[in-house]
Amino acid sequence: MRNSTYVKMALNMLLHSKLRSWLTIIGIVIGVGAVVGILSLGDAMEEQVQSRLAEMDLTKIAISPGYTRAMSNMPGPHGEGGNTAKDSELTDDDIDALQGVEGIQHIAGEISGSEEVDYAGENATLSITGVDPQVWKYMTTLETQSGRLLEPADKYVAVIGSDVASGIYDQDIGINQVIKIKGKSVRVVGILTEEGGFGDSSVYIPIDGAVSLIEDAEEGVFDTIMVKAQSEDLVDTVMEDITDKLMISRHIVREDDMDFSVTASKSMAESVTEMTSSMTLFLGAIAAVSLIVGAVGIANTMFTSVLEKTKEIGTMKAIGARNRDILMIFIFNSAMVGFVGGIFGVMLGAFISTLFPMLGMTMMRSEGDTGIFLSPRLMLFGLVLAVVIGVVSGAIPAYRASKLKPVDALRYE
Amino acid sequence: MALTEIIEIFKTKLNVSGILNSLDKAADFYGESDIYSEMDDPGETIKNNPYNGPGGAFVKNVDAGKLSGKKEVPLIKLTDVWKTYQMGESEFAALRGVNLEIYEGEFLVVLGPSGSGKSTLMNLLGCLDLPSKGTVFLNSSDISELDESELARIRGQMIGFIFQSFNLIPTLNTQENVLLPLEFLEEDARTAREKAAYLLEIVGLSDKKYNLPSQLSGGQRQRVAIARSLAVNPPVILADEPTGNLDSKTGNYILEFLYGLNKKEGKTIIIVTHDLELVKYATRIVYIRDGQIEKIEEYTQNKPEGMI
Ligand SMILES: Nc1ncnc2c1ncn2[C@@H]1O[C@H](COP(=O)(O)OP(=O)(O)O)[C@@H](O)[C@H]1O
Ligand SMILES: [Mg+2]
Repeated sequence: MRNSTYVKMALNMLLHSKLRSWLTIIGIVIGVGAVVGILSLGDAMEEQVQSRLAEMDLTKIAISPGYTRAMSNMPGPHGEGGNTAKDSELTDDDIDALQGVEGIQHIAGEISGSEEVDYAGENATLSITGVDPQVWKYMTTLETQSGRLLEPADKYVAVIGSDVASGIYDQDIGINQVIKIKGKSVRVVGILTEEGGFGDSSVYIPIDGAVSLIEDAEEGVFDTIMVKAQSEDLVDTVMEDITDKLMISRHIVREDDMDFSVTASKSMAESVTEMTSSMTLFLGAIAAVSLIVGAVGIANTMFTSVLEKTKEIGTMKAIGARNRDILMIFIFNSAMVGFVGGIFGVMLGAFISTLFPMLGMTMMRSEGDTGIFLSPRLMLFGLVLAVVIGVVSGAIPAYRASKLKPVDALRYE
Repeated sequence: MALTEIIEIFKTKLNVSGILNSLDKAADFYGESDIYSEMDDPGETIKNNPYNGPGGAFVKNVDAGKLSGKKEVPLIKLTDVWKTYQMGESEFAALRGVNLEIYEGEFLVVLGPSGSGKSTLMNLLGCLDLPSKGTVFLNSSDISELDESELARIRGQMIGFIFQSFNLIPTLNTQENVLLPLEFLEEDARTAREKAAYLLEIVGLSDKKYNLPSQLSGGQRQRVAIARSLAVNPPVILADEPTGNLDSKTGNYILEFLYGLNKKEGKTIIIVTHDLELVKYATRIVYIRDGQIEKIEEYTQNKPEGMI
């Protein structure tokens, strides 16, 4: 029997199958839809993370007071890290202690806080970061769309995020305009390019000025000490050296007593990537379960179908069908069931992927650019997966059908 | 002996000349009430016999079989055949030591009451089952020694089955049902179509090519089944109660058709039945009871009344 005949017979069976059989296709549709949808979400998330990481300076190390797990403490000025022990402080002394560490290119303390900022009669609470104007422009990856970054001589001037410049206030803020922070006039010297993160709604001020503008801030005390290593490769040793040096200078003997934490943006990046892929894997596994359920559904339908067609199988054998012919007809049939399920599943997956951006956005704390789509590769994968599932779940029933003895099959009522 | 040899010997020694040439008119069928079809000239199409012609594998001199003079070698031979069925603890012997020889060109009627083992015997003759004990020889070779695909090939090429309940594939239309055995033999699609058209013409169902079995009457279904059984032009036709589900008038048409096949094509016909009516067509009658052959009667002249 030729393949074309198998296809013909299998198609005939498919077209004449009962509603009940069609219903089991839903299992495959949902399974494939979920898997494809989640994989496309994973792709999109990864893409997003990668593009974010590409912008990131991976030589940065942040030291913050209190001991926290690396994961929960975002590096950078807006660390809302859930520090538990806020009683410890980072000071000038710590920076001094680190001066001799090899591999450090720049080191600077930062302070941060939220303050009310007035402009043109309006008032908004914004995050204020006090940075060291001596080195900030060498350490930051931020860029201006107009104006300049902070210069060493600056004090009561600000570089503002793109949202602050236009969006938060009714009236746009331009270069050389004056905003008021806690009643103090601060001149805007630069506006940052939009980067799609927290920085867009931040205000950067030289630390000497910021000390007097941020509540509770003290001279010589920092919320974060930022370190820039000379190269990415040195990050790990620099981190170790920093930890050792600070433990000595702060008279800490046991690691359990550590009252500061050192976080590299590199390890952050790694853990974010890891998190993304393990989340995709986890969701994928859940989706895979629904695929398995779908496969069992097909297998069940195939068993029923073989039972219903027992007499026909007997007849076909009587008129010359070999076991192989029967096997192939049923395998082709279940492959087709899988194929049809795959087509609808891919369609469902495409639909699901259009819903993900919202979810993706909140997860990535960014706006706009989630380009979720179903790549042709993923569509093909979904289809192939469905066909394979069809074949695999149809294999045992088909084998059973092929092994029926012609007499027994013919006697079946 | 290789399988192909067995089959070839069958084909050559049997009188399987240009199939059904002599059945052109098939006039009897047109008498059946439900087929006063609008066919203009059935004879014309039928003359385009796809089983004839230089390429036809089955084209043999009508006399070849007879001249081979091998009438004494039986087509099918059963020696001390037993068939026992396991019924839970106990065993039940449906056939108990059957010895039978069937020769080419015979019109054999196996007659016996219900439950006597006729269908069991039929299954063995048709290679649908193997004996529990004893041997079934098909052209001198033991079918128990053939593997599954060889048996399938024998069934596909040598034997045409006709069942009491027609056994058409319900999801295939008339034409597709007739084509099916040819598909199994990987017959060229065009030739297969021609053959199917030809056979459907003969059984008078040319206008029902695209009907599903459910859209046909019982008699029409059995005619489709006959067309199907003839598709590969097999030398042997096995029929298990072929008229059991038909009214006597329709049944008679079917029988006369088979009779014609036997008389004019030399096909070996084996019919299993409990219906005494059928004996008039037989060249030999095998009476079977409780799984044993009771007696065998031979008729040199089988000629039902009304048949010329
Ligand atoms: N597969 C089977 N299992 C058990 N008993 C069977 C089986 N097939 C047939 N029989 C028994 O064998 C006997 C002969 O059956 P069968 O050949 O079908 O008779 P017939 O066709 O003459 O009516 C019956 O008594 C039947 O019950
Ligand atoms: Mg019977």
